[in-house]
Amino acid sequence: MTKDGVAPGSAGQLSDQAIGYLDALYRMALRLTGNTHDAEDLVQDTYLRAFRSLHQFQPGTNLRAWLFRILMNAFINEYRRQSRRPTNTSLDELDEFSLYHQMQASNSHQISGQPEQEAMTRLTEERVLEALDELPIEFRQVVQLADIEGFSYREIAEVLGIPIGTVMSRLHRGRRRLQRLLVPGAYHSPSLCQGRSSLC
Amino acid sequence: MLNCDDMAERLYPYLDRELSPEEMVAVKRHLQDCPPCRRWFVFEENILRYVGECGRKVRAPAELAARIRELRQS
Repeated sequence: MTKDGVAPGSAGQLSDQAIGYLDALYRMALRLTGNTHDAEDLVQDTYLRAFRSLHQFQPGTNLRAWLFRILMNAFINEYRRQSRRPTNTSLDELDEFSLYHQMQASNSHQISGQPEQEAMTRLTEERVLEALDELPIEFRQVVQLADIEGFSYREIAEVLGIPIGTVMSRLHRGRRRLQRLLVPGAYHSPSLCQGRSSLC
Repeated sequence: MLNCDDMAERLYPYLDRELSPEEMVAVKRHLQDCPPCRRWFVFEENILRYVGECGRKVRAPAELAARIRELRQS
């Protein structure tokens, strides 16, 4: 039995359980394709492939990750080339750890949680989704899988076929970029402890 | 024992509960003793939680759900 509750069962039971992930798969498809029409086609294609391949699914393994892997493969094979969304694949942005440490070196940066919290309360759901869509696709995929769908690093690595270290790196950079879009200037620096903690 | 400089690379693995049990304890201990890092981690956690809540409000259209159920029958 896995954490998504898949026990050995009939194809019918598996199909029912697979349908339970429809909303999650649609959310992923919408973020990938950028429009509802292509997202619906992608999800339908995913289920078509999944239902045809259910005999290949190993009961007791992770059905949700298996479905997302099918969706990703379908997207890469069929949709990405024709997607209307620009797919920015450039990952050579400023390393966020570097930025972080640059800010650490700056004594002028003051921690100010309150204004940032206020900025967050003004964020609308629509703006959050827009910001997600503004991320390069490599970052958008991992942020969607981790922060919206709650996949573990290992599961994301399996779904996307990339090493866990790459998952962690993309997730870190994707989240920093997302935060920069949502709450500009919200970087914090632990150097601001300024000796207030005996551990600093 | 962790200091503030050690916290940046542990921020997300900690919030994602992907650190080893020993590292989780070490980070928690630092956060207990360091209000600025604690505030920073809470802020980051709130952003991630809010992004997740917004993202999960998206639902598949009813027509798509009907089509998938038809696929299942066929």
